[in-house]
Amino acid sequence: MEEQPTTQSAHASDGGPGHRPRLIGKLSFHELTERVAGHTEKQTPLAWYGAFTVAVSMLGLLAVCLAYQIWNGVGVWGNNQPVGWGWPIVNFVWWVGIGHAGTLISAILFLFRQGWRTSINRSAEAMTLFAVMCAGIFPAVHVGRVWVVYWMFPIPNQMEMWPQFKSPLLWDVFAVSSYFTVSLVFWYVGLIPDLATLRDRAKGLRAKVLAFFSLGWTGANRHWRNYEKAYLLLAGLATPLVLSVHSVVSFDFAVAVLPGWHTTIFPPYFVAGAIFSGFAMVVTLLVIARKIYNLEDIITKNHLEKMNIIILVTGTLVGFAYITEFFMAWYSGVEYEQYAFLNRALGPYAWAYWIMMSCNLISPQIFWFKKMRRSIPVMFTLSIVVNIGMWFERFVITVTSLHRDFLPSSWGYYTPTWIDIGTYVGSFGLFFTMFLLFLRFVPMVALAEVKAVTPEADPHAHDEGDGRATTDVPYVQPAQEYSAYRSADDDPATT
Amino acid sequence: MAESVKPYLGPRWFADPVQATKDAAQRAYRFTGDRRAWLVPLAIGIALLAISLIGLVQDAKRFYFAYLTGWTFCLTTSLGALFFLFFHHLTKAGWHIVVRRLTEALLWAFPLLALLGIPIVFGMHDLYHWTHHDLYVEGGPHYDPVLAGKRAYLNQPFWIARMVAYLVIWSVLAYKLYVTSIQQDAGGTGKHQQKLRNVSAWGLPVTAVTTAFASYDILMSLDPHWYSTIFGVYMFAGSMLAMLALVTLIALVMQRRGMLQDVITREHYQDLGKYMFGFTVFWAYIGFSQYMLIWYAGIPEEIAWYQHRLQHGWGWHSAMLVLLHFIVPFFVLLPRFTKRMLPLMGFMSVWMLVMHWFDLYWMVMPVYGSEHAAFHWLDFSTWLGLTGIFVGTVMYRVKRHPLVPEGDPYLEESLHFENA
Repeated sequence: MEEQPTTQSAHASDGGPGHRPRLIGKLSFHELTERVAGHTEKQTPLAWYGAFTVAVSMLGLLAVCLAYQIWNGVGVWGNNQPVGWGWPIVNFVWWVGIGHAGTLISAILFLFRQGWRTSINRSAEAMTLFAVMCAGIFPAVHVGRVWVVYWMFPIPNQMEMWPQFKSPLLWDVFAVSSYFTVSLVFWYVGLIPDLATLRDRAKGLRAKVLAFFSLGWTGANRHWRNYEKAYLLLAGLATPLVLSVHSVVSFDFAVAVLPGWHTTIFPPYFVAGAIFSGFAMVVTLLVIARKIYNLEDIITKNHLEKMNIIILVTGTLVGFAYITEFFMAWYSGVEYEQYAFLNRALGPYAWAYWIMMSCNLISPQIFWFKKMRRSIPVMFTLSIVVNIGMWFERFVITVTSLHRDFLPSSWGYYTPTWIDIGTYVGSFGLFFTMFLLFLRFVPMVALAEVKAVTPEADPHAHDEGDGRATTDVPYVQPAQEYSAYRSADDDPATT
Repeated sequence: MAESVKPYLGPRWFADPVQATKDAAQRAYRFTGDRRAWLVPLAIGIALLAISLIGLVQDAKRFYFAYLTGWTFCLTTSLGALFFLFFHHLTKAGWHIVVRRLTEALLWAFPLLALLGIPIVFGMHDLYHWTHHDLYVEGGPHYDPVLAGKRAYLNQPFWIARMVAYLVIWSVLAYKLYVTSIQQDAGGTGKHQQKLRNVSAWGLPVTAVTTAFASYDILMSLDPHWYSTIFGVYMFAGSMLAMLALVTLIALVMQRRGMLQDVITREHYQDLGKYMFGFTVFWAYIGFSQYMLIWYAGIPEEIAWYQHRLQHGWGWHSAMLVLLHFIVPFFVLLPRFTKRMLPLMGFMSVWMLVMHWFDLYWMVMPVYGSEHAAFHWLDFSTWLGLTGIFVGTVMYRVKRHPLVPEGDPYLEESLHFENA
């Protein structure tokens, strides 16, 4: 054992192989607290009020559209006889998909012990909650009689009638409602230590409110032990949940006999698409938020680069599913299947199909280049392109399969109306209203977790020497040499 | 040693393509077992295959079906190792370094499997219905318009060409990962790390696509009327399970023999157990999605595949697959303490390997004869024969090289790894 430790420590300081790149900039615990807590404590910037006004007006548009539609009936949308599912379902699947990245970041990356998730998980989970809220509107209002949606719940009633448990639309009710509940609990559990930090810094009414929400957290050893266990359990439960929710959403289509809908790859492929679009949304939001709230050395380019790699991987997975579907349609020898896919690529909605293909399969391939992955303008543009592409994916699946199916006598064409468009635009109002409130009142970075991944939190951070015991037996190597860390000038925010 | 790791081009190239580098290794990382470690499985394997030749004379069709199942078992295990290494190189994972060399030992099976795959080519007429020429005679009594429509893809020369292409691609990737890692032993430089990552970056999508198409070619086309888009993912899930189980088992057996002591710890077994648990659930998720969607829609051309697996005794096989491939391992591997209990992990590894074979058996055998579900001695002799040769060559590679990638910069991190 004479060579091994020396090569290791040599690498650790010179940034060579074996050197784990620093996650965040050179910030002490105190600086971290000041930076993150500060943005909820300082005076609200004028820009926030501007953005909030825009968001609330869009929320008003949503209310108007929904009221108009409920009063007049669903006929105000562009849905027609072959295409009974139009924008409402497209938007529903799209918003649910957006939400999935939050749970992936908070739960799955937690199970994989990915330290880089800590800087972004809080805002990603908040995004999940708000995206699921937006999604939840659509299944409720796309029905003809919104006032009897409670019939979808298995409640004992005077009619002795129960919902049909074989319908994936009913599974949606359970999936989305439990998804929202678990995400909320998970997010709130994560918030408690940070709310306690804010409480300790606040005075007056603010302190009282925060004291209420931080549930008497003192950060005792016993608290932390239980907290970590609860967090791990929730992560373990949220992981199958997130996979099953979008699978259930995919079942809405895949259980049908419709060519273009009935295909067995839908469950994993929808989940991959959800992660793809969700990460794109996180990038869109964080690129702006880190700039405005001066968090560039907490949410660094390294974080953004890793998210872009996930966008590349899931985008390629989705592209692979497109190709598989196309191949299987031909291989099946079923003329309806073959036609459904020819119709996508060459039919009246070919434009939508090619927008989808170029946005989802082709454009993320630019992230093979490191320079592109780390360029803020490139990733910001691409994150928006991806979400346009993913919206079109849901549009293509829903509409192109419906508008031309088995009987040519029931072929049609679907065009959305202003109410369709207004409702979708309005749902962004809800999303951004909630997100802006979150930015204003809640620490947008999980402070306690980020502190735990800083080098100072390593028990061996301050060890002198090479971390060996006095004998020749290798003891424990410091994960990262603290002194090298404090003096190194490769700032992850800028390099 | 360094770059002087010379390619080895003797008759044993099929077992190991590079020179032995064990002598340069630190003492703790040297293979100290004896020749029996690789000779015994190899000899048993060869003997079992020789006995199976009697079966070939008796019932050629059964032999080919049983042989295909066993061959696919070995192939998927190696493919799983390829995926496992891609994932860990790309994510710069630290924990797995101590089991990496054992995983790498599974890689170089593709040339040998190409050799062992020759009998399948001879048996194609028995195995694959679409190779029958009378299906394509228009107006003939056996004319099948659906299969005629697929003939551009499902025809013998193109099938063989595809199989050769897959095996060449996987061999090239395996060679690159394996040799680079052995070169790295001499003293890791960033160059080796970078090369492993680069190969993984393009290797992963290429292997994903080829694995999916190989699953269509080898298994799905046994029933050429049937199709399922998720099938490639299903085969991937099984591959990962088989590979994890075999690596765990080899590690445990070697530690019993006094090697890798204090190198692979309970912490690593817990991680392997977590993976095994995760892929048990993933396998069930994919398998259930496929079943549920086909059952739900009940489209005649799809449902036949499951009908063959739910009637005439095959229903028991399907039920056992649910119980023994999912429910039992799910509950056994769920708690933390079971994943750290080494004898239990050894037992579960054998269990999962048997279940992976049973899963393949359940996919392949109903095509042989859906009217009678019964095991045949050939099913076991070919499977264990091929696996014996497979494991024998794996152990042969293990003994020729250091047991851990010594030059890997994350080795120290992996040695001190703890599940926090």
